[in-house]
Amino acid sequence: MKRKLSFLLNRRQVHVEVEPQEILLDVLRDRLGIKTPKCGCDRGDCGSCSVLIDGKTVRSCMVLAMEVAGLAVTTIEGLLENDHLTPLQESFIHHNSFQCGFCAPGIILSATELLEHNTHPNDDEIKEAISGNLCRCTGYQPIIDAIKDLTSHPESFNRTDVKKEVKS
Amino acid sequence: MPILQEFEYFKPSSVNEALHLLSHYKRASVLAGGTDLVNNLKSEIDQPDAVVDIKGISGLHTIVFKKNILTIGAAVTFSELIASKIIQSKYPVIAEAAKTVGSAGIRNRATMVGNICSAVACADSSPLLLVFQANVLVQGKKGKRKVAIAKWLKGNKKTDLKKGELVLAIEIPLPAKKYAGRFVKMGRYSGEDLAQASVVILALPKNQFRIAFGSVGPVPMRAAAIEKVLNGREPSPELIKEAKAMVPALISPITDIRATKEYRMHMSQVMFGRGLNDAVERFRGKGSDYGVSLL
Amino acid sequence: MSSLKFVGQDAIRIDGKAKVSGAAQYVDDLEFGPGLLFAEIVESPFAHAEILKIDTSKAERVPGVIKVVTGKDFPFSFGLYLQDRYVFAQDRVRFVGEQVAAVIAIDIVTAKRAAKLVTVTYKELTPVLTVEDALKEHPLLLHPNLKNYKRVPWFFPQADTNIAHLRKVRKGNTDDGLNNADLVFEDTYTVPRYAHCAIETHGAVGLYDLTGRLTVWAASQSPFTQRNLFAEALAPLGLTHNDVRVIAPFVGGGFGGKAGVSMEILAAALATTVRGNPVKIIWSRAQEFYNTYQRQGLVAKTKIGVKKDGTITALEQTLYWDAGAYVEYGANVVNAAGLSATGPYRIPNVKIDSYCIYTNLPPGGPYRGFGYSEFLFGLESHINETAKRIGLDPVEFRRRNAIQEGDILNYGGHMNPSGLRECIDKAAEAIGWGKRVENATESTKVTGKGFACFWKAPAMPPNAASSAFIKFNEDGSLNILISAMEIGQGLLTVMAQIAAEVLTVPISKIRVEVPDTDRNPYEWQTVASHITWGTGNAVKKAAEDCREQIFDLVEHALGKKREDLYLEGEHVCSRSDPTFKKPLREFVINGLMMSDGTFRGGPIMGRGMFMPEFASALSDPETSQGGKPNVHYTVGAAAVELEIDRETGRMRIPKVVLAVDVGKAINPDLVRGQVVGGIVQGIATVLYEDMRFNEKGRLLNPNFTDYKIPTSMDIPDEIISILVEVPQPDGPYGARGVGEHTMIPAAPIIANAIEDALGIRIKSMPITAEKVALEILRAKK
Repeated sequence: MKRKLSFLLNRRQVHVEVEPQEILLDVLRDRLGIKTPKCGCDRGDCGSCSVLIDGKTVRSCMVLAMEVAGLAVTTIEGLLENDHLTPLQESFIHHNSFQCGFCAPGIILSATELLEHNTHPNDDEIKEAISGNLCRCTGYQPIIDAIKDLTSHPESFNRTDVKKEVKS
Repeated sequence: MPILQEFEYFKPSSVNEALHLLSHYKRASVLAGGTDLVNNLKSEIDQPDAVVDIKGISGLHTIVFKKNILTIGAAVTFSELIASKIIQSKYPVIAEAAKTVGSAGIRNRATMVGNICSAVACADSSPLLLVFQANVLVQGKKGKRKVAIAKWLKGNKKTDLKKGELVLAIEIPLPAKKYAGRFVKMGRYSGEDLAQASVVILALPKNQFRIAFGSVGPVPMRAAAIEKVLNGREPSPELIKEAKAMVPALISPITDIRATKEYRMHMSQVMFGRGLNDAVERFRGKGSDYGVSLL
Repeated sequence: MSSLKFVGQDAIRIDGKAKVSGAAQYVDDLEFGPGLLFAEIVESPFAHAEILKIDTSKAERVPGVIKVVTGKDFPFSFGLYLQDRYVFAQDRVRFVGEQVAAVIAIDIVTAKRAAKLVTVTYKELTPVLTVEDALKEHPLLLHPNLKNYKRVPWFFPQADTNIAHLRKVRKGNTDDGLNNADLVFEDTYTVPRYAHCAIETHGAVGLYDLTGRLTVWAASQSPFTQRNLFAEALAPLGLTHNDVRVIAPFVGGGFGGKAGVSMEILAAALATTVRGNPVKIIWSRAQEFYNTYQRQGLVAKTKIGVKKDGTITALEQTLYWDAGAYVEYGANVVNAAGLSATGPYRIPNVKIDSYCIYTNLPPGGPYRGFGYSEFLFGLESHINETAKRIGLDPVEFRRRNAIQEGDILNYGGHMNPSGLRECIDKAAEAIGWGKRVENATESTKVTGKGFACFWKAPAMPPNAASSAFIKFNEDGSLNILISAMEIGQGLLTVMAQIAAEVLTVPISKIRVEVPDTDRNPYEWQTVASHITWGTGNAVKKAAEDCREQIFDLVEHALGKKREDLYLEGEHVCSRSDPTFKKPLREFVINGLMMSDGTFRGGPIMGRGMFMPEFASALSDPETSQGGKPNVHYTVGAAAVELEIDRETGRMRIPKVVLAVDVGKAINPDLVRGQVVGGIVQGIATVLYEDMRFNEKGRLLNPNFTDYKIPTSMDIPDEIISILVEVPQPDGPYGARGVGEHTMIPAAPIIANAIEDALGIRIKSMPITAEKVALEILRAKK
């Protein structure tokens, strides 16, 4: 039986009717037009379905849509501010960090969460933060380099405030 | 893959409301982190009439340390355990173990209580809680009860949970004012993996030890025989070697597609030897930093 | 030659912003409106069985089900090089997971529920799961009709056996070569199957519209080859190429797995049964593991003859490939590897027998490296063992035998220019070859170093063509229309750099986007690491065509001497008149206005096509002599420093080096991207990935929980890329392909490093920590 679900999606209130068994990833993609979280494995192993719930990365393929009632969900579409990409995103572009790009949304969110509470992560901390996001193309090094470059030279990348990535 | 079955969803705001739902529905599943349950719903291993989301019950989200007992609420995630100042200072081995569970995105949802309710043989929390002699706090229609973890874990995916009951928390008594711990987990690589074998060691005052092996049997095993040999004696290299040799007799790993029993047996000995040395060093104020892998 | 402005630069990817912002669309992101239908496949639970009966009646009655389709609706075979496959299994199934029927419904839940109600009655047959079983005396024949299958003329099926193709190479006389050797050494090496594991699974949407036109949107490396195979396979329904259109969006990783046609044919076929509604099929991760192409397994018997000074006198390779249930594409892997299984060495006497063997396992097919990773594991391990036995340093051994430009290849023909010696020297230096790494005495760790050479040529039909159109816009920007697929390698950017170099239009003003076979000109497939070379040549020609038209117009309309004209900074300039600077934007759409108000010229459009006219697949079937199957080889060398914990078997890579001769790195940053990504993927096949089938042919670990691909915590500490540039004479700016090559040497460098560190030679893959630890324990006893 359909239930009413309201939550904050990329800073906008959304209202949708869902069955209790509907998965958050499917509702975002099929009902709400949010295509950036991807279905890579449907078991929580690959991280390409990652979204932020109240600022924390979760595997949306393992969340029932009803669970986010009243909470704030953020995908990379929601990171834009005045149509500007975040400095993290600018760094990824500058470093040619992604190849096929399928893992990119998930990695961007994991890295965004990391930088929210750790502005100068070391190599191990960066690797650990993105270790739940599988990438088959890049071997991860250019992704790690982009994050390191950003935290060492925040002034080199567009938006001035590194920390303002996530709003709940 | 969508979930093909249908069920009701509830998010009660109190324990009583939750208990009412759990007894009202013939088959009800408790939902906390969902990292086990949602997959089980997809594969139809679990087929409930209702899913009861306990994240709306504020009392289950707390980590409390009072009278030398740490109480971890049922909705507390592994990420919260790692970030907890209390745990970092008084139970650092719990943070060390929690850091090995899945990856950040899993830890932001998965709960320790959920881990021991799924009770899979490779659960990371199981040997950890066994070595702390933890208790599981359960509440049902008939009231509350406390179950020792050794009795709670009955077999692979089997617990002492009765129909209509809800686990509220885990209680972990502080083993001593000064103690050290070591958690060692074998995965197939450095990235996230289920435990192929694990060892947890507590080094207590006066050369007392508590040792448990995980993922080498349907339930974690307390190595009582080894503890007997070690307890009260100076842990010299010869003694540790003697203790290491006792490991194979105490554990029953299997061969599956993940690892062979030979390797699990061998690694359990290696991890035990390294873990014991490190626990002893940590007790002496040296040893590795909590969270560094010994493998 | 003046210095290059765009080619050779570390340009920022032109699709970077799309992928980082989330704008990039993949096939599952495309919207098709409320008329979209969903299909779910009914799969075989058996590896080998006869289909006795399919009862679809219950499924058809489920509300929301539009159609249920089985093999009898599509009794048409298809295949890229050999027609041995069907849309749905016909009379029998040949691997666990093979599609038997499909349910099309208004939503995916209905389709899945109804699919469970289709009942299939099978008669189980004995599954043939190893090459040994497939080759034994009087084997069970998996394809009894093999001799009648349509195929390319350079494949040689062995009638009434399970050998779908046998590639034989005979150069010189290996009996003589072995007799003249001072040492003859023989051994066997085993490599299992592997999965591509692109993070995006396969998927396709088919629409057979109300006019009878079929459009398929697919995550594909090969839109034109798909169009061709769809048209061929569905010709009995009255379709021709004119009626078929393939649109391919960004692809979330291919690695060869999304080449050719596998599950996409389902979208095409099913669409024809529900005219007017698009039908979507997206593969689950499990299906991605067991019902798409896999990398074939190989048992390689290698025999080498060498002189005391290390000169190789003869090499014999007998390669038994576990090619799976259908080999329409995989047979070419066996073919390509068969032609090149000597590695990049000068060997006067060569005997290679490369057998493509049917088994009741998932179909083998193209996978990055196309057979070369598989044989190189054994070959480079064998070379090290041989060098050891004659007391020669393994790097020196390779130096002495390294192939050089002009040397005769295994099939006749001559080796192209190559910097192999330079690669060997630079890789050896970068890894510190000859210097031992000492670990602390009380440590359980020991470090070894391993080295290997590699090569690969594109394995393509001799007429594989690339083509390009270029058109300008009013602001002087331009669009390049090609059908090469962006699977992550960055070709869109490379093409823009090439066009920018010729036309002096900056890369930021160049669009290169994903293709539509109706609008974009032909590209054979995006495989074989040939796009930079082939499509690059086509784009360069198209750009030069534009430039010629521009100069023609300026000469014709403005009377400027053509020989003096050149392009600079988006302007036409004249060497004889320094004041003449005509901006392209003024006339590339609008033409040039004359004094009387009439115009000359009009929209500038360029076209370019590249198809090698020197390649031929025809050769002596018994010896392969006389053929010109390979356009050129890319060569290189790799080395690793490997630290092993003797107690646990766990391995860590402090440093790995790969040197490759790319001819000319059009975008060095993207080439380095291929080196890093390829090395990590290659290392994973040795250390982590472990495909397990049960005794009934069912894949036991079709998921990332138990088939481990590296995370960010599993990568080497340092990966060093060395780009060598010995120009390829017929490549754009001297460029040669490099995408696959970077994973090819990974397995043998690790096996060789383990031998160096522990004195233990492991001759089968994967080489996991567990395997190493148990070998060490065994060696102790």
